[in-house]
This record gives sequence, structure tokens and C-alpha cells, in this order.
Amino acid sequence: MPKRDFLSSDVKPAGESWVWVTSMGLGVGLTMIVFLLGMILWNGLEVFWPKPVVQLELRPGSTAGLNNAPVFGGEIVKSQVKAVQALAADGSPLPPQREYQLFVGNKDVYGFGYKFIDEAEIAARSRPADVIVAERLEYGNAIFRPRELRLADGSVLPASAPAFDDVLAGLVRQGNERRAAIRRIERDQIGGINRQLEKIRLERRAIEGRGGEMSPADQRRLADFETTVKELQAGYEQLAARARELRQLQSVNRIVYATMDGAERTLPTGDLIDYYRPNQLTILSKAAIFAHRFWKFLSDEPREANTEGGIFPAIFGTFVMTLLMSVAVTPFGVLAAIYLREYAKQGPFVRAVRIAVNNLAGVPSIVFGVFGLGFFVYVVGGTIDQLFYSLSLPTPTFGTGGVLWASLTLALMTVPVVIVATEESLSAVSRGTREGSLACGASKWQTIQRIVLPASLPGILTGLILAMARGAGEVAPLMLVGVVKLAPTLPLDSIYPFFHLERKFMHLGFHIYDLGFQSPDSEAAKPMVFATTFLLILLVVCLNLGAILIRNHLRKKYKTSTF
Amino acid sequence: MPAKPTPPPVPARFQVGKATLLMDRFMNQFIKIGGLSVIVAVFGIFIFILVQILPLFRGAQAEELKAFQLEPGDYVQLGIDEWSELPFAMQADGDLNFIDVVGDRGVMTKTLPFAADHGVGAVQYNQLAQRLAVGTRDGQFSLVEIAYRPTYGAGNARTIEAELKAGDLLAIGRPGVPVAMIGYADAGARKLAVAKQIVDGRMELHAVTLAQRRTLMGGGRITLDRTYNLTGLVTGTIDKFLVAAQADSVLIATTEGELIYLFLDGGEFYVRQRLKPFAHLPDPRIKLLNYVFGDVTFVTVGMNGETKGYSLFLDPAVGSRQFGETKRFDARPGATEVFAASVRNKAFLLGTERHARLIFSTTETVRWQQDLGFSVRQAIIGGKYDRMVFLDEASKLHFFRLNDPHPESSFRAFFGKLWYEGAPAPKYDWQSTGGSDDFEPKLSLVPLIIGSLKGTFYALLFAVPIALLAAIYTSQFLKPEVKTIVKPTMEIMASLPSVVLGFLAALWLAPILETRVPSVILIVTLVPLTALAFGWAWTKLPPRARLAIAPGWEFVVFLPMMFAAGYTAWHLGPSLERLIFVVTDPTSGQRVADFRLWWPSVTGTPFEQRNSLVVGFMMGFAVIPIIFTIAEDALSNVPQSLRSGSLALGASRWQTAFRIVLPTASAGIFSALMIGLGRAVGETMIVVMATGNTPIMEWNIFSGMRTLSANIAVELPEAPHHGTLYRTLFLGAMVLFVMTFLVNTVAEVLRQRLRDRYKTVE
Repeated sequence: MPKRDFLSSDVKPAGESWVWVTSMGLGVGLTMIVFLLGMILWNGLEVFWPKPVVQLELRPGSTAGLNNAPVFGGEIVKSQVKAVQALAADGSPLPPQREYQLFVGNKDVYGFGYKFIDEAEIAARSRPADVIVAERLEYGNAIFRPRELRLADGSVLPASAPAFDDVLAGLVRQGNERRAAIRRIERDQIGGINRQLEKIRLERRAIEGRGGEMSPADQRRLADFETTVKELQAGYEQLAARARELRQLQSVNRIVYATMDGAERTLPTGDLIDYYRPNQLTILSKAAIFAHRFWKFLSDEPREANTEGGIFPAIFGTFVMTLLMSVAVTPFGVLAAIYLREYAKQGPFVRAVRIAVNNLAGVPSIVFGVFGLGFFVYVVGGTIDQLFYSLSLPTPTFGTGGVLWASLTLALMTVPVVIVATEESLSAVSRGTREGSLACGASKWQTIQRIVLPASLPGILTGLILAMARGAGEVAPLMLVGVVKLAPTLPLDSIYPFFHLERKFMHLGFHIYDLGFQSPDSEAAKPMVFATTFLLILLVVCLNLGAILIRNHLRKKYKTSTF
Repeated sequence: MPAKPTPPPVPARFQVGKATLLMDRFMNQFIKIGGLSVIVAVFGIFIFILVQILPLFRGAQAEELKAFQLEPGDYVQLGIDEWSELPFAMQADGDLNFIDVVGDRGVMTKTLPFAADHGVGAVQYNQLAQRLAVGTRDGQFSLVEIAYRPTYGAGNARTIEAELKAGDLLAIGRPGVPVAMIGYADAGARKLAVAKQIVDGRMELHAVTLAQRRTLMGGGRITLDRTYNLTGLVTGTIDKFLVAAQADSVLIATTEGELIYLFLDGGEFYVRQRLKPFAHLPDPRIKLLNYVFGDVTFVTVGMNGETKGYSLFLDPAVGSRQFGETKRFDARPGATEVFAASVRNKAFLLGTERHARLIFSTTETVRWQQDLGFSVRQAIIGGKYDRMVFLDEASKLHFFRLNDPHPESSFRAFFGKLWYEGAPAPKYDWQSTGGSDDFEPKLSLVPLIIGSLKGTFYALLFAVPIALLAAIYTSQFLKPEVKTIVKPTMEIMASLPSVVLGFLAALWLAPILETRVPSVILIVTLVPLTALAFGWAWTKLPPRARLAIAPGWEFVVFLPMMFAAGYTAWHLGPSLERLIFVVTDPTSGQRVADFRLWWPSVTGTPFEQRNSLVVGFMMGFAVIPIIFTIAEDALSNVPQSLRSGSLALGASRWQTAFRIVLPTASAGIFSALMIGLGRAVGETMIVVMATGNTPIMEWNIFSGMRTLSANIAVELPEAPHHGTLYRTLFLGAMVLFVMTFLVNTVAEVLRQRLRDRYKTVE
């Protein structure tokens, strides 16, 4: 009998080619996720990296420029092959052409921020060193070449002067400080006066609403109100005058500049927030600007219909909402899980309840939003308003969407996640451990409190983190129960009673929806959307990774403990 | 048996402290009550939503509030103010008796100023405009405004005052001949009055159009513009007629039972349509003919009580807007017929002898009916659809409260086909709000359910193959060390917020895919083909060569090939487009290679940028990881003994996976699909952002859709609290809830079964 070689070619494992087909599934799945995360990472961070400004000289006779000028310029954002192919005279398609998308800035001059240009129209490119990209209060960024500074004392400082940069930087700093001062006056101080006026209005309404003869005490109080209101109004006048004065100062110094197509403009230096010279930057200074812009993005408030500035209120709103949600969801979820696992009699009924709870996690989030609106906002909120805030009705206080109702709605939505995770980790605590505790004379509650709960804490934590991740990324129910595109105040601040549960709030996820779909200029909003997306993904992915790591760690621990 | 000696007393240190026991007892109770109440509260969601939608399926309630005895007389018309506080009953001689039904002012009589000199021949009341068109006994007519005015007394008490403001007398028809019947409509620029006169025993029909000079101070004097004699257009004897509110048509019923639809176009009347609604009956006469609110649908009752509705719609076969039978209402034989249409919605009241019924035209449902203790002579519905007034044969006025907050709703309205006004056929439609007051809300949930299923279908079409293949590979062939990295990576995908996916779908993917459909088609075919071809070629290699790649690393080797295939397909796409998807541009006559034009020209269905392909792909990100994780768990949990046994018997790894593991885990895989389906059905943000949100009923992959969830997200913030739309959206939420809950429960039960089965194997 000949010896059989198992590696000879007549041994063919059946279906080997199908293994390759299944490997395709994994390949596609992994590619999808890696590509998506990579794209968001790139697009989200690229926003903050300063790009050089190119000056383009157009071919003679070209009408593609701005304001018929032969030159213009901006930051090249995109370069692509034209989708529509031009046809030659005889109808045959010409070879494909490139086109560039430029961020030209100066929306006050052009009316738009982005422009496409065909490569065929461009004669020459250069990077003039003196170009400045300036962030302004209005109309987005300006891209220009400075001419001179016209100072308040009447003197003129040409851009070529060596002191130009120092003076401009000083003026911008002064402007920012003054703007902060105006803001303090208008928001904090005048806002305080308005709050007092509103309080007096409500108290007066309460006294007048009682009807019948007014007691002397009430009459005295009404008279007091009159004088207080007068004082407050005087205070208001004073503050308003001060703010006006500061605002006046903002526009005494002016910078004269030429846009890239040569038109001359002037701008008060008080309108500038920041500026840099993109064509003179080294890698290090670019990195510094990157870090600075990223920080501004995290810490500033939005401007210009959310397309400029930062997203601090959205971050803060997401944070407060998620925090409130966790506070609400943890005790209830854990309580229900302990009941199901430790107290309820295990049988078909509890089994059914368990399945149902599990399935609740799969019920669409919008259904919880519908419930939140119908129950929390209209029923609970409406009742609270009638009982405690009847004076300010018909303006609702709690009877409208707010951070409290949003948190409770999300808590309800995520409570199944916590219940399931907690139950799982409770059941992982071995019977021996429990019986040991009971044998030592501990009561049932003592066993749970001292033995079972600490052992299952990591599992509960995993559930909570998963719940937070789901809550932080959820938008659909929030749209119904209190998220807004721009909230003037934060839900947590230094004004009594500090935590304003009834206030509407901003949210990272809704910010993306709003910027991408409700913004008047979606092209201008795109960088902000990508940056916000990056931040949200970062938050959610970090939370999830944390949960996964804890879970894997736990699994290992349980595996060893079974032996 | 000897008694056991009593045990020695327990040392104090073994005694449990009182505080501990108390605490234990308290916590035991607390957890029981707390835990139960949390679970009950969570399921309270279901109850709450149910409570919100129940009123939708309740009929109307009515109760008599008061009755007033009027002087006996010949009452020809009832009217009511918009607050339903001061109705009037008009007598044939021109006296209007206003009845204060709220206060104690009793009956106040006001007389038409021209009644004494010219007499009153006919009257028509327009409740919306509070205007009477009165024809005199000498061939003239006048428009009388009933000026209702609220005045506020002490403590904000409201009283309604009424005043008659008669306009000029204008000539109509033959001078000196009494007006036997009058109709008037004011459509702003066009005003039309029509009168029936009896001249020497012959019926004549005359019409006038009116002109009104606009001044800065509002409307000026109304003057005659043109006169028409319509008698010649009518064959037969004129019985009754209606003037549509659009002031462009007259609908005439003859005593022979024929309806003649006269249309005013280009300054002339012509006969647009003739129809006999009761031609099939032995007595084809028309007992009653009236428009419902909006004057697009009329209700007609035959002599045997048969009640039908006709609507104006554009029939492509005819080419003009004509009446067609669209509704059949519940019939009731009887003698007297009284009609009153609501001016708030499409409801109307029919009085038959001693019985009254309130019908909603759109849904054809009877909202309310009752045997009354009296015979109805006149009836009217309050302006806010909250009161009904009846006048009986003994001149007694009965004042009813009507409570019907959701007349538009019925089971058929939500889930059945309805023939809406202006539509050429019955259909499922969702359009909750419209621009005009007489808009008919279309609240069918069917297009939304279809939309949800469509999105789910395309998402699963894309996600299921990838997720299942990946799950099989990961669980059966992948190296365990690699699996610890691969699985969490796929799970991260599940955590991507749907708002992010929606934003990317709409603003990034949709514009790219719009021009690259041929490339996508190529990728979808080329990549699997590459895998198959390479796999086949691989088995042809000598075994020694095959050892070069260790089992479990195939996907790493395959990745570069996949990229290459994808890249090639992507760039070959435009060539394929030029080769196949060529269409002749109708305007320039040129041949254009553009899939966006090719698709509509071949299939007749539209191509939209934000379409199901985009949604399906992006929803894949949400669904793939869910299916993958659960299916992978099910496959990995198949007992190792089964696999080992199969391999030991000489099966290859694919045979083991396909013939042994897959069937064993099939229930788990099915449950994975169900849970993925549940997720896709309820997905909201991706659909809101990446589709056009139009409620359509087609399965075209290149058009969008509107899903139940997106519909709620879009419309609920604007829906008035406790209105019909609000509750209907709750009903949508309920449908969604039940759908996903059922699907998930089936999946969960299957999974539990499977777990039990593994237990027996081990």
C-alpha cells in the first residue's frame, strides 16, 4: 500500500472557498468602522489646523474671479476632478478637469464664504507672506492683506512699520477685554436687575390677584415696589450708559486692509477676536494655533447662528443632562435588579418580566420621547406649574421641555440597560459566597449590602457607563422634551438656586442635527459639524471602550473564581 | 421519648442586634416595594400611551342643555354665532328672533329693514361669513350681514350683541317676480348670486355676478356686473340648486332626479356634467342636496333614504374636474330630511323625522345618533363644532352640547383606504396639516408603516449578509487572540450615535453616491466575486502553498484584495455608466450617460439624492454590530463537543461550521436578525436626516420615505396638546412600541430556548 501524503494535491478540504467569502464579511465590517472613525477624526481635527492662504492669478480675460478682479485668494479646502465633463466642440468629452474649492472668507464683501474655481482658469499661484486670517465677531473669518492702522489719536501706522504687529495685537487684546467687560455688564448686572424686576412683577400680581380690599401692609409693599422699581431702573440706565460708552470705544481704532481681490475695507479693531499670518507659520506655531483654536472651540459660546465660536454650552448641557440621568437611573435600576434577582420568587412570571425588561431596551428611543412629552412635560410639569408657578402662567415654567424632563426621559430609556447589567453581575456572585455570609450570621440585607453589591459593583458600573453612552448620544427623544438650538443660560450657574432644572439646554447631538440641517449656511457650518461630531464620537467611544474594558476584566476575574 | 434537655441559653454575642433586624426587615420591604414599583413604572409607559390614544376611538357625545319655546310661526332658517351663545331663528316674513341661550335676555326680535316694503321670498344663510342672502318678493335681493359683537361687562362676563346690516337691494332675474330660492357665494374677486323664480308657472333660473370696488377703507359698494339667464341650460324642472363657495358653479337638481353641474368659465356658463345619482331607484328624485364644508363634496339623499357623497376630482379620462361618487353613508328611510354642515370640519348633521345623526364625511362614520323626542324641522351646528341647535315642529328650540374632539379619527382613517376630496381614487395618505381652513387631514398610518418597513428592508438587505458572514468567520475561523480585538471594535460601531450617522449619510454620503450609483453596483458585485474567485483559486493551489497562510488570518490577506477590487470598481463605475446607463435628453436630443436620468426613464420612478440606498447603508452601521454580536455569541456558544466530534469524523472546518454549528445555532441567529430588525424599525435620526421624509408607498430604492419614528420626531413638537394629530402620533408611537416589543420578545424567547438546548447537549 503506498504511503499517503496528506499534503498531496488530491486532499481538498471541502468549502474552503466559502471561508474566504465569510472573511469578506469581517473585512467589510472592520473597514466600515475604521474608515468612518478615521474620517471623522481627520475631518474633525483638520478644522483647527491653520491652512496656508494662496493667492491665485487668473488667466487674462477670465471672469471666474470675484468682483471681476484678476486675482483672488483663500484657503484651498478641497481639490477634486470635476463631476460634469466639459464637451469639446464636436460633442466628444474633454479629458477630466480639476477644480478647487476655496474658502475665500470676507462674507461681508462677497456674500458667501466658499467658491469653486477651475484649474484651467488659474495662471499662477503664490503665497504672499503678509496675508492675515482674522476671526471676527460677524461674517466669519476675514482674509486680507493689511494696509494701515488708523488709531484713535489720529495717527496712522502703516503695515510696513515694525511696530505694526505689536500694536495690532495690543488692540485686539484690549478689544477682547472690553468685550468681556460689556458682557459682564449686560448679562450679569443688567440680567440681575431684570430678574429683580420680574420678581417684583410676580409679587405685585400675587397681591393684586387676591382681590377685595387691600390691607395696609399690602399697600405699603406696593409703594415699596414702586420705589424699588425706580431705583432699579436708574441702576439700569447707569449700566446701559456704561455699556454704550465701552461699545463706543470698541470702534475708535480701525484697521484698513485690502481683500485678496484688491478692494479696500476698514474694520474697527474691536470687532477682531483673533488673527494670525498663515503663510509665516512654522509647524510649531501651527500646532500652537491648533491647540488654541481647539481650546476656544471647547470653551467658547457659539456665535453667528452657531456656525462660529465654540460649543461650550452644548458640552455643558450634555454633561449636566447625562449626570442627572445617571443620578436618576442608578438607584432605580439597581433596586429593580436586586428585587428581580434576590427577592422575587424565580418562576415563569419573573422570567417573563425579565424578558420584557430586556426588550424594553430595544424599544425605539422616540417612543420614550413621546412618553416624556406626554407624561413628564404635560402631566407632571403642567401640574407643578399650576400648584407652584401659577403666577407666571400662561408662560410655562415646568410645563415645557427642560433639562429635568429630558434627563428623566433618558433615565427611563436606559433603565433596562442598567437592570440587565446589574442582574447579570448579581447572578455572577457565586452561591458559595452568599451562603458563607449567611452562615456567618449576616442578615439577608447585610449579605447583599456587604458581600453581593461590592462584588457586583464593576458590573453595575459597566451598565451605568453603557447607559451614559447611550444617553449622551441620543437625540430623537430630546427633540421632544427640551433641547434647543441656542440656550441663553446654562442649567447650572451662580444664581440662586444654582441648579435650574426647568431650563432648556443645548446638546452635542442636537447641535449636529441643527447645524447640519437647520443652518442658513450649511457649507459654512460643515467644519463646525465635523468638529462637534468628533467630540461626540470621542465621548461616546471612550465611554463604551471603558465599559468594554471593565467587562472584559470582569470576565477574566469570574473565570478564575469559578475554580 | 424523653424530653430533650433545654439547650443552654444563647450567649448574648450570638443574638442579632435589634437595629440590624429592623434594618433588614425595612430593606427587605423597601426593595420589594421599590423594585416592583420601578418595574411597574417602566411598563406604565405602555398604559400611559394607551390612555392617550383611547379618546381617538370614542364617538361623539351630545346632551340637551336647554329648550326654548318660540312663538309658533313659519321658521325658514336657523343661524348661530361663533360662540354659540345667541342663535337666531328666521321667520318667513323676515323677522329674526335672537335667542339668548346663555344669559336671561330671552328672545329679541329684529326685522329686516326692507321686509315690509319688498317682502321676503327666499333666504340663504352663510354661517362662516354670518351673512344672509335674502331674495325679495319683487325680483331683488340683498346681502344682510349679521354683526355679532362680544361686549365685556363686570368681571369679564361676556355678552354677545347682534345687529343687522343690510346692503343695497340689487335686481336679479325678472323684475317684480318673487324670488323663490336664492344662492349666493363670495370668493373675493368673484361674487355670484343665483335665483329661482316662477314665471307663469314655469321655473326660471337667473344669475348675476357682482363687482366690488376695493378701497383703502376695506370693501366698497357692491354693484351688479353681469346678468345671466340659466333657464335654457337646464332641461327639466328646477327643484333646488347650490352655489359653490368658489362662486364659479351652480349645481342644480331637477324634479326628474337629474343633477346638472353648471360651470362659469370665461364669462359664460356651460353644462359641465349631468348625472343621475338615484337612477337605479324606482323613484329617482333627489330629496336632499347639500355641500359639506369646503364645497367640494356634496351629500345627497334619495327618496328611500339612501345617502351618498359626491366629490369633485380631476378624472384623467375626462380631463376636467367633475363630480364622482366617493362616499356612501349609512341610509335611513324616513320622511323629513334636515341638513346642517359644520363650518369647522367635514361633519354634517342629518335629521330624519324624530332621529338625528352626525356623520363625518371623510371617514363615512356616524359620530353620533339619537332618537329625539321631537321631529326636526331645522338644525344647525355651532361654529366651534361644540353645540347643535334643533327646531322642532312645535317651534321649540333645542340647544345641545356636542363633545367630539376627534371627529377625523376612526380605525379606517388610520389603517384603511379613504377617498379624500380631490383624489381620483381611494388611497392611504398621510398629510396632517394643510394651508386652508377646509383642509381635510389625512391620517393614514399605512404609508408610515410601509416607510418604516422599507427602510428596515434595505438596511437589513445590506447588513444581514455582512453581519452574518462576519459572525461565522469570527466565531469559527478567526484566531481567538484576534477575536478579543475584533469583537470590541465591531461593538464600538454599535455605539455610534445615530445623529452622527444621519449627518454623515445626508451631507457626506448622499452627495457622493448621487453620481456614483454605477460604481456602487460594481462594488456590490465585484467584491463578493473577488472573494469567491480567490477562494476557488486558493483551493486549486498545492497544499504546501496553502500552508503559507495560517488558518484564521484569511481576512488580513483578503483586505488588500478587497481594497483593490473596491478601488477598481469605484473607478470603473463611470465607464459602466457610459456603457449602459445612457439616456436621450429630451430637451437637447443628446445622448447623456447619467444614471440619475436613466433610472426614471426606465423604471418610471423618481431618483432622489437622499434615498433608501443611503439610508440602508448608514443604518447598516447601526444594525451590523447588533446582529454580529448576538449571532457571534450564538455561534460561539455551540458546545465544543459538537465541533470536535464533527472534525474528528473528518469533516472540514467549513463543513463543520455550515452543517453542524450553523443549524445548531439557527435559533440564535434568527433572534439576532429579529433584534436587528427591531433596531432598524425604530431608528429615527438617520431617517429624519437622510431621507426626504415624504410619505410615499413605493419600494423604489432610489426614493426616500417617511417612517413612523421620523414622523413623530418631525410633527410632535408642533402638534397641539391633546389634539387629534397629537393623539394620532401617540398611536404611531404605540404601533412602533408594539411592533418592536413583539419582535424582540420572539427573539428573546428563541434565545432562551436555545440556551436550554445547549444545556442538554453539554
